[in-house]
Amino acid sequence: MTVRGTVLLVGSLGALAGYLWVVELGPLRAAPPATREAAPLLPVPPAAVARVELAEGVRRTTALRAEHGWTDAAGRAWPDGAVTDLIAALGALRPLTTVDADPATPGDYGLGPGARRLELAGTDGRPFLALELGERNPAWTGLYARRAGEPAVLLVGAVLGWELEKLRRAAPAPDP
Amino acid sequence: MNLCMRLCAAVLVAGVLTAAADEQPWTLEASNWEKGKDLLPEPVVKRLQKGEYWFKVVSADPSKFRHNYSQAFWDATEKNAGRYDLDEKTCGLKDKATDKIPDFVFGLPFPQFDKADPKAGCKIAWNFAMAGAQGGGGGATFTLNGVDTGGQFRRIKAFIHTRGYQGRHFGPIKENPEGLSGEAIGGALEPVDVEGVSTLTKRYWNWDGQDAVWAYVPSTRRARRVNAASRSDPVAGLDIFADDLNCYAGKVEYYQWKLVGEQTILAPLLQPYPFPMRSVSPTRQLIDTPYMPAGYEVPNAKGAPWWIQQNLLFVPRPVWVVEGQSSDPYYNFGKVIMYFDKEIYRIYWKQVHNRAGEYFYTAMCGYHFVKNDETFSAVFPNLVVGVNDKTNRAALGGRYQSSFLEQSWDPSYFSLRTLTHMTD
Repeated sequence: MTVRGTVLLVGSLGALAGYLWVVELGPLRAAPPATREAAPLLPVPPAAVARVELAEGVRRTTALRAEHGWTDAAGRAWPDGAVTDLIAALGALRPLTTVDADPATPGDYGLGPGARRLELAGTDGRPFLALELGERNPAWTGLYARRAGEPAVLLVGAVLGWELEKLRRAAPAPDP
Repeated sequence: MNLCMRLCAAVLVAGVLTAAADEQPWTLEASNWEKGKDLLPEPVVKRLQKGEYWFKVVSADPSKFRHNYSQAFWDATEKNAGRYDLDEKTCGLKDKATDKIPDFVFGLPFPQFDKADPKAGCKIAWNFAMAGAQGGGGGATFTLNGVDTGGQFRRIKAFIHTRGYQGRHFGPIKENPEGLSGEAIGGALEPVDVEGVSTLTKRYWNWDGQDAVWAYVPSTRRARRVNAASRSDPVAGLDIFADDLNCYAGKVEYYQWKLVGEQTILAPLLQPYPFPMRSVSPTRQLIDTPYMPAGYEVPNAKGAPWWIQQNLLFVPRPVWVVEGQSSDPYYNFGKVIMYFDKEIYRIYWKQVHNRAGEYFYTAMCGYHFVKNDETFSAVFPNLVVGVNDKTNRAALGGRYQSSFLEQSWDPSYFSLRTLTHMTD
């Protein structure tokens, strides 16, 4: 092949590569990710949480951050683990899916009046997370929840149910 | 006075009779499910309520049950008190006298611990590891059965051979050039499309080393090193995982362990007390055990097709509830909740969440015991019923009718050469 032929061939290949890069692959390079991972339920670091409150009917379970660990509303110490495990779980858990964006009957999911409520707040009382907690899903893999004031029903991993059970079991016993 | 004595005697007799009645075997089933709601993991109670599962419950004398393990084991356990600690960083076992990993351990390394100790979960895991290692090595040919609501959809026949260097009766094996705590070779025998697919695992007796695992596929005639985290991958596409053997099959150091509670749970056992073994050579003993048919194998069976129909008993046992979590990003499981016997340190049940916190799987792990006199005993994992509640499918593993103990394998048996010549 002559020098001229080689130059022409290299030129053509260059033009082809340029075309592919700009026209064909351009949109792919610029394409946003297909799905965005949902944000964790608890949007602040666990250390920022100063108050945890779980309301189940008339029963209220409270944990307040103290100098060394956590106490209940009466000042009794919580055993190590249950409160911090719950907060850590909420910091890691992301909604698995939105089950129903605007349910006609939230009671079908165990939500609405009478549902359990979980609130986490900071030292200044500012709420970081307020969740209404419903039933487990039929496969038992998750539980239904929704953020306070929002209609959408979320499915959250069942590990949250396990952490809440641990919290209930670990709650300081009232004085005899 | 006479009346008082009569009344007291009557009360005493009534009490004895009530206690005797409590000892009688009984069946936990849908009609009396409330009696079992605190004796089983929640997803299992759900199936009990629906009539898919039932449980033949028998009591076991606590002292006799403890002596499923030999007196030699318990004597060594007693001597271990105060000898061991844990490495802060890895949760590895540490000899207090040297601050290093001990040369050889036999018996439970932590016969006592404070349940408020943040390291209690790891100590429980070490007791579990050493209780399981007491037999020293052996093997069995078993099946893996994939079962859905329509019945069995896949069956694989496989074998496993193991050799333990730590925790065994009769002391350490002299030759251990690779510094192992144990090694195993396993392979598929049937059906023909998977025949010869096999793995070799070497577990190092150190705090931070990963297991070395090789997989061999006959069609490519290549043995490939695979990640130890593959223990959380489904075996042959079934709802069962390599980490289900004994309900946990990894190194203790792979998990962060946390003791979160204690309760009583129903322990699945072939029988509450040991099976006899018969010697077939100076180093090998055979153990015959009955088959445990599942619903899909029994005409007109009731309940879930994967539920065991015969030869399985449930003994109420006190357990530690322990969470385990791997920090390996390639490990598929998130938080795993396990129920460890407080005395003999077997895991009977585990509930598994995925890394997104979604519960998906419960495994029930059954055992049997063998013992000669008070100088030797072993505990065998003989059953895993793994149930994927997300897909409503299950897999059964184990259920072998014959197993063996081997105290002296050929030194070159657990090798890549054996692995790659399995189908020759």
